[in-house]
Amino acid sequence: MDLSFFVVQLLSGLTMATFLFLIASGLTLIFGVGKVFNFAHGSFFMLGAYAGYQLSSVWGQSFWLSLVAGGIFAGVLGMLAEFLFLRRIYGRADEGGFQILLTYSFILIIDDLVKLVWGTEYKSLAKPAVLQGAFSFSGIVIPRYNVAVILIGLAVVVAAWWFLNRTRAGRIARASALDREMLAVLGVNVPMTMTLVFGIATALAGMTGVLAAPLRSVTPGAGIEVIIDSLIVVVLGGLGNFWGAWLAALLLGEVNSFAVVFVPKWATLFSYLVMALTLLFKPEGLFAPRKVRRV
Amino acid sequence: MHASAFAQEKVVKIGALYPMSGRAGIYGMDSVAAAEMAIEEINAKGGAAGYKLQLINTDDKSKPDYAVTVAKRYISDDKVNFLFGVVSSAVGLALTEVSKQEKKIFIGTDHAATELTAQNLQPYYFRVANNTFQSMAAGALYLKELAQTKPWKTIAYIGPDYAYGHAQIEELKFNLDRFGVKYQMVGEFWPKLFEADYTSYITSIMQAKPDIVVSGFWGGDTVAFIKQAAPYGLFEKSLYFHPDAGGNYELLSAMGDSLPLGLVLSARHHNNWPDTAMNKDYVAKFHKKTGRYPTYSAEGAYVGVYAIAEAVKKVGNPNDSDALVKALEGMKFQEPEDPEGFVSYIDPASHQMVQVQAIGVTMPNTDYPPATRMLGNWKIYKAEDLLPPKEWIEKKK
Repeated sequence: MDLSFFVVQLLSGLTMATFLFLIASGLTLIFGVGKVFNFAHGSFFMLGAYAGYQLSSVWGQSFWLSLVAGGIFAGVLGMLAEFLFLRRIYGRADEGGFQILLTYSFILIIDDLVKLVWGTEYKSLAKPAVLQGAFSFSGIVIPRYNVAVILIGLAVVVAAWWFLNRTRAGRIARASALDREMLAVLGVNVPMTMTLVFGIATALAGMTGVLAAPLRSVTPGAGIEVIIDSLIVVVLGGLGNFWGAWLAALLLGEVNSFAVVFVPKWATLFSYLVMALTLLFKPEGLFAPRKVRRV
Repeated sequence: MHASAFAQEKVVKIGALYPMSGRAGIYGMDSVAAAEMAIEEINAKGGAAGYKLQLINTDDKSKPDYAVTVAKRYISDDKVNFLFGVVSSAVGLALTEVSKQEKKIFIGTDHAATELTAQNLQPYYFRVANNTFQSMAAGALYLKELAQTKPWKTIAYIGPDYAYGHAQIEELKFNLDRFGVKYQMVGEFWPKLFEADYTSYITSIMQAKPDIVVSGFWGGDTVAFIKQAAPYGLFEKSLYFHPDAGGNYELLSAMGDSLPLGLVLSARHHNNWPDTAMNKDYVAKFHKKTGRYPTYSAEGAYVGVYAIAEAVKKVGNPNDSDALVKALEGMKFQEPEDPEGFVSYIDPASHQMVQVQAIGVTMPNTDYPPATRMLGNWKIYKAEDLLPPKEWIEKKK
């Protein structure tokens, strides 16, 4: 393998990893903070994509505006879903089962709503003009859009680091992951924190939906398809570990990218293989979050 | 209760199973719309042998187990006369078993797995749309002709990693050998069905530098692959060749201007080919009914209903399955996809509709909005050349 091909393949893996991370980060955030597994996370990704389609392809707004608005749209709906439904089942003994049933029913409802509003035909979003075409130098070709995706992914990582480590809200979010009761005793509005975290996470999913739309097909059912891959990332990264999810996404993106080169017939197997091996030898995930010891 | 409520109207009950959700939902929706269109037309003319046609449909969710349960309920409770439909080949293969056990005729309108009309054929199954073997035989003939004007040597294949994808490349290879075409495979790539990200596959294919990229995707996977591959320049370096489902209208309409020109594609029905009164009429009527142009699957359902009506007319009632089988075997009828001078017919030996195949090239055309590209520059392949030969079927058994 010559160097330029190696670089091209590395960057392909990075593009894939960025999408994996952008979708999975919200999922792991919700799990980390609220111990909720939101099966419908992919549906908020899909809702973002449809909102982007409506704004950009139907109403002729700019792609960048659609990107922001798609995020806000999914975020607001996410907060509504949390406020109206999910918060009613926190703390119940059989919470896990309820969470799965409730968030799974969200998937079906959102799919049907999307079909009612937008139909079942495949929808499409155009890339912004400035991101069409590719950069090309000494045998390395990489589409401009992919570069933008990678950069936006990095920006989200940096912004998330700043939010979680340098802001009061971020500290509260991290603290509520560790001990909700103590936080409530200290006078923090924990339910409000949960709603906000849910909103941020689903906004991230919605924005990613818009970002992915020019590269994928916008279609009902898209939500279920991304949730499996995100689940692998989240489990591999250690449930609820934001940075773990980032590293796991990078690992999976690159493993997949080079598996396609060396063992094309078995390429799709590898991400599952990595997960199976991880669960076997490190069942808490590669980067499990710290546990609080109660005394 | 009023006495007339007891008056029994004679009906032919058609028990359809189409996906109405998920990725294949669009094919189910269009199939049901087209089947209803055919039923309205037939009933308006008095039905078939005094019977009115009636369609019931259940979302099969593209799941074989679930579809089998529904089909059995159709037969025991709803007393359907025919099983009908199915987009997924996996569901088709499951339902053909029910059809065989219960001796209920199953009219296949969409699913393309060749084995249904080859090694897995049972007397009560008929398919009114073409199978992948026919598409791939036409594809092989196209590549053979192409070699004379634009010499090519190497092929890479990419398709979804399940029965449909694997069958296509195997059938293409068989037909290339059968027609004496020399080629070299430089790569086979198997992303999972509904893979969202093809970037690594695309860069890897480009490294293999094939003259021809043969694609076996369908639906949204094609959209995603083409969108992701275009900026890499794949379509300038290799010829994109996608002869079974690449020319599907939902793909042309979803991609608009972002669909590159010069791709070689086909589908099981084309809105702009053949240029016959019947096809134009069919497309216009569908558009009037639904507000959109039909995807390929609609025509299979439309034709399937007509096949049932013809068979009932011949036999005189919808209950004698064995007589209906005889009526369907060898049945000839004009379809929207038949070019001038050709009439499709059901091959009595395989129960497979024998059809002409057209392969075209993407070019600008705004007659079927929102699509801005349609296929043109057609190459047409004779129906009889495309059926699986006996030795192929025997080898599979």
